[in-house]
Amino acid sequence: MNYIDSVVYLISSLTAISAFYIQGQEFIVSMIRGQSVQSLLIAVLAFIIAWEERSIDFFILGALIIVLRAFLVNYFLQKRIPKQKSYIYEGRVSLSYLFLVDLIFIVISVFILYSIAFSGIVLHSFLENSGNSSVLVFPITLFFQGLFLIASRRTTFTQIIGYVEEENSLVLFAMFLLPIPIIIETSVFLDVLALVVISSIVVLEKFTHEPVEELRG
Amino acid sequence: MDTNTLVETLTQYFFVILSAPLYGGILGKLKAMIESRHGPSIFQPYYDLWKLFRKVTIIPADSGVFFKYIPYVLFGIYSLIALIIPVLIPVPIYFTASGDFLSGAILFSLAAFLKTAAAMNSGSNYVTLGASRTMSFNFLSEGTLITVFIAVSLLTATNNPYTTIAFLTSYFLENLSLTHIFSTLAFFMLFFYETGKIPLESSGLQELGMIDEGLNYEYSGKLLAVAKWSAYIKQYLLGSVLLNVFLIPWGLFSTSPLFLLDIPVMLAKWMILIFIVLIVETTLAKLRLFRVMDYLAIAFTFSILFLIFGEVIP
Amino acid sequence: MIAGNLLAILILLIPGFAGIFYRSRIKEMSVAAAAIDLGLSVIMYYMRPQTGFFFVQNITVLFIVMVLSVYLLSTVYSTRYLKGTENMGIREPTYYLLLNLFTISMIFSLEVNNYGFMWVGIEATTISSALLLITEKTETSLEATWRYIIIVSAGVTFAFISIILIYYSLGTLSVSVAIAMHPHSKIMVLAVSLALIGFGTKVGVFPVHTWLPDAHSEAPSPVSAMFSGVLLPTALYVLYEVYEIEPIRQLYVWFAVISIVAASIFIGYQTRYKRMFAYSTMENMNLALLGLAAGGLLGITGALLLLISHSFGKAGAFYSSGNVLRFTGKKNIADLSGLGTSMPYTSASMLMSSLAVTGAPPFGTFFGEFLILSDVLSLHMYAQFIIVIIFLATAFISVNYNVTGMLFNGKGPRNEKDKLMSAVSVISAVMPLFIGIFYLVVYIEVL
Repeated sequence: MNYIDSVVYLISSLTAISAFYIQGQEFIVSMIRGQSVQSLLIAVLAFIIAWEERSIDFFILGALIIVLRAFLVNYFLQKRIPKQKSYIYEGRVSLSYLFLVDLIFIVISVFILYSIAFSGIVLHSFLENSGNSSVLVFPITLFFQGLFLIASRRTTFTQIIGYVEEENSLVLFAMFLLPIPIIIETSVFLDVLALVVISSIVVLEKFTHEPVEELRG
Repeated sequence: MDTNTLVETLTQYFFVILSAPLYGGILGKLKAMIESRHGPSIFQPYYDLWKLFRKVTIIPADSGVFFKYIPYVLFGIYSLIALIIPVLIPVPIYFTASGDFLSGAILFSLAAFLKTAAAMNSGSNYVTLGASRTMSFNFLSEGTLITVFIAVSLLTATNNPYTTIAFLTSYFLENLSLTHIFSTLAFFMLFFYETGKIPLESSGLQELGMIDEGLNYEYSGKLLAVAKWSAYIKQYLLGSVLLNVFLIPWGLFSTSPLFLLDIPVMLAKWMILIFIVLIVETTLAKLRLFRVMDYLAIAFTFSILFLIFGEVIP
Repeated sequence: MIAGNLLAILILLIPGFAGIFYRSRIKEMSVAAAAIDLGLSVIMYYMRPQTGFFFVQNITVLFIVMVLSVYLLSTVYSTRYLKGTENMGIREPTYYLLLNLFTISMIFSLEVNNYGFMWVGIEATTISSALLLITEKTETSLEATWRYIIIVSAGVTFAFISIILIYYSLGTLSVSVAIAMHPHSKIMVLAVSLALIGFGTKVGVFPVHTWLPDAHSEAPSPVSAMFSGVLLPTALYVLYEVYEIEPIRQLYVWFAVISIVAASIFIGYQTRYKRMFAYSTMENMNLALLGLAAGGLLGITGALLLLISHSFGKAGAFYSSGNVLRFTGKKNIADLSGLGTSMPYTSASMLMSSLAVTGAPPFGTFFGEFLILSDVLSLHMYAQFIIVIIFLATAFISVNYNVTGMLFNGKGPRNEKDKLMSAVSVISAVMPLFIGIFYLVVYIEVL
């Protein structure tokens, strides 16, 4: 493997690690910052691909990711945290068991999804083993970690972050496969931003979600 | 009988056995210097062992037969491990072929199990404290140890650490591969747990933080000396594997008579490791016990995650 | 044809024009906009836009007319319904603005010729309708809103993976081009399966339908009517467009059958009438999915007939429920009795609607179900046929038992406070009857 390959793999794996970091956090501000870091890493990858392929599209994509995901989502969510507390404590989160369940989940999802379906996919040409689409394992892992974050936590903020993580994984996935037309990517980003804004309105009122009797059945 | 290999074997064995307590002493002296104390001399562990060997051995009345003989068995296991893994000489010597790397990991587990069993056999209360803690945390740490030892094999398709050392020294870029970096990280986190350093276990004056030290509580005299010596040897073995196979694979000589130069090289590498451990120990506070499990879960996650990715990525 | 394109753009944007009048009179302008739009969409049947940015087939025109009719009915109904809300989470002009945006995003999803934009449109419907759910701000409705947002968004994200895969293997996201291409590869099979889970979240396919009853029961009635009558059929249309690329019949048919079974079972033990109607929506949508998946002329005609009759019928059911809630303030089925005497118009519309949505003849839904099931039978899917018939019958019995229990068990004083609301619900409930009779007449004529 040459240098570029190693760097690309390293940064992709760091996004997966940042998802674990978010999973294990109890403080909401740290989670929001972790998500900004994740978006930043994906933007860096976009810039690397833009440099290697000499394509302006990826460069714009990277810039969009930084502005919309790393900054604006961060800003909107942090604005909603009540002023008198600069942190919010989620409550006892038993880290080790969450991690273990998360790992099992990842193993199953990665191996099943990956080995069945993706054998015919060819990636960008500058990656040395472009016939081997194994770097796609990182976006898939990130996707399932986002789903697990939504399923395992009860506060609204965390679930929003889980959703943004899912969208991040989709951007990463699309980036490795091919350049999606910019107009669609832009609209997807704006969509997610709007969703975060709407959710932040709900979050003001409803902070935790316990099972409700009337909504059962 | 190849004289060369025989000399190498004896050198490795005696170096491990005799120099193991030194590193604990150096660490203690440097920590004291940072904390503005005079501190003990660096040979203090040797003086302690010599003192203990001359003392009377007292055994609790309720203890079983296990209790009396296990420290010697532990010493024997660690001696065997000292010959299996590359702790001094980077090529195989006599007795290396008696087990591969994975068996080294399992021998470590065996030693931990025997120590706990012997401690429980003594029938005392403080020891049970240490034993229950050890057992609660060992399920994650043993898993990490075994997966880290297997992660070594992902780079070279063989479980042989000597091949890995040769591979890593010849191809520099492989050191940056994902599995290598993250399994090093996992092993580094594990090293702190297994050798009882802050932030996981505080030894010495406060017994409430004991995890591993508590198992030694009922031993006295010769048995205590042998148990302490085994603990020092274990620390040396784990640290040397971390240094030689994971962190810094370069600098070891294998031809004769240059292998005698390996001794100062190992000492120098250990100084680097001691330095890193020192910074961590004097900066962090000890974790509360229920967070030790979180710490180990993170190490375990790292090792398994990169084991999986290492299989998937070319 | 330029005129067609212009028409499509106009239909898309007219509800937005009403939003200009946000400060004053937005209610009347919304109603007017809805009426004009409906008229324009009928004209669109004769003047299609060019297949470029827009892609409008016969089916699409039908869907657009359906969307705009229910939109008109809901807007008219809302003008009276909102007066009685105690604890408004959003103000009334905001409500109308969001309703208009909701309609715009749905028409956008229907008209546009690009899978990516269709996905954006579906997400936009989630965004614009989320706040509508907290019109009556209670603990429960906030919880339901949140569940709606997060479950639908997380599910529809699956669909985006399938869109990426479609773009990867075909090189284009244009619907018309993709359907004409007919590729066959493993990647397309994966993409279409993922779309079933993804867009199926919005349609109400079995494992990912969980937001449906919560959102429908906690939303105000006109919004529930729009969800059931319009939003789900739009999502079904998008799913159908993806399905047409690579029809994996067995998977879709089995998922539709399992969802029908699940919906019928869930109907059995409901205690609140709005939730019961929500599960009935799920059942009907999956029947339509069954018809579309089975393919063939009979199946598609049956599905379309079912969708149109069901939209009006379910809207009528929800309007009647809204009337009942407004006039009596009770949510449980067990608490209500004797509505036949206290609210004659409402109970008439509720009875007709519940018969319509469960598929009683001569309503249009019956003919739709008949055609769909005959198509399934003609494909030799005997197991599915038998299962569906059994569980349709179960649902029929459950829903009508509950409704007649509410209507006919006793007497009460006349309580029908608002004439317009009752009128709207009766109109909406009678439409399936007309559609059914119309179809029967046409069929007999043609035959």
